[in-house]
Amino acid sequence: MNSSNNFIYTPGEHEAEKASNSYLMSLIAVIAGLPLPIVNLLATLIFYLGNRKDTYYVRWHCTQALVSQASLLIMNSISFWWTISIAFGDEVITSNYIAYLITVILFNLVDFIATIYTAIATRKGKHVVWYFYGNLTNLICKP
Amino acid sequence: MKRILFEFITLVALFFATYFLFSRFDWVSIFKIERVTKSTEEKIGDTFWEFLSKTENEIHSDSIKSKLENLINKICVPNSIDKNSIKLHVLRKSDINAFALPNNHLVVFSGLIENCENAEELCGVLGHEIAHMQKNHVMKKLVKEVGLGMLISMTSGKGNPEIAKEIGKLLSSSAYDRALEREADLTSVEYLLKAKIDPEPFANFLYRLGDEKENIPNQVYWISTHPDSKERAENIISIIKGKTNPKESMMSDEEWSTFKKRFKDIN
Repeated sequence: MNSSNNFIYTPGEHEAEKASNSYLMSLIAVIAGLPLPIVNLLATLIFYLGNRKDTYYVRWHCTQALVSQASLLIMNSISFWWTISIAFGDEVITSNYIAYLITVILFNLVDFIATIYTAIATRKGKHVVWYFYGNLTNLICKP
Repeated sequence: MKRILFEFITLVALFFATYFLFSRFDWVSIFKIERVTKSTEEKIGDTFWEFLSKTENEIHSDSIKSKLENLINKICVPNSIDKNSIKLHVLRKSDINAFALPNNHLVVFSGLIENCENAEELCGVLGHEIAHMQKNHVMKKLVKEVGLGMLISMTSGKGNPEIAKEIGKLLSSSAYDRALEREADLTSVEYLLKAKIDPEPFANFLYRLGDEKENIPNQVYWISTHPDSKERAENIISIIKGKTNPKESMMSDEEWSTFKKRFKDIN
């Protein structure tokens, strides 16, 4: 993760607030959507769609928040359905299942902390580029 | 683009490396998660059989048991199933029923044998119950419906006898869910074909008892608790359609009648 002031222009107060909100949106949705992993992706997607015609800085951070949620969705969905098949199906709790849960929790935690940090930094007008997701956003989101 | 691809591969590799690292630990033991071990299943099966043997009338006739064991052997040997692991019990009861208990206890009611028209029909039912055992359906069903904690407490003698009675009823009279029943039917047909036993009489048995169920619903346990018997019979027919089924009889009509007569003599 790289935090700098090197965005192509200096974002205004209003833009910084909106960009920061895109991360806050995914944070709130993570809490609400923990049992159903699709909820946080949907919340971020709705926020992204609502701001897709906004300024470049806002769009860029909305996109980064969205793409970072997509990979979490895959990880969390696997753990969700694995748990469902244990609770209602024929699967049993195995060490591999617990290892997967711990891995997913760890990755969610890293994402959670990174999201809080980015929300605070973008609120201050800083430009935070995440590893992989930042470059992916550069590819998707054009000025 | 190359950089994105490299970063993506790094992230995926990091995820799998973390997972691999954590999967090296035996979390089930660390968290002391109760698991069905072989000894738990043995205890549960033996407890239920002990309970059942006290309340029901077991037939100890060697000639009857050896005949049934022969049929079981005919199914087990070609299918590489350890025949010695199956503990056969024949109960004197007019209900048309057979069921599997944990730890491979196979309980057959005399009513079932008396209502089978030939050995092949009985082999179909035996194959179905052996399939439940081999596919571990018995323990899966118990753990799902009763809970492992309750089962373990029963085997340690802390369980309520009334609950034991209810669980016994559950095992003997309730069917497995539709998917497991279908799996057991299909597996039974596979067993029969490998053992060169014609599976068609098994389908006939299901179909015939589906009709009888309407007349004497309380006695046809094996059918009344196994839903859609006619549909199941049709499924079996559709599987064996086009295949060359073995036509050789396992027992002549006379042999089978003599065998069934022994039950009547005992009664």
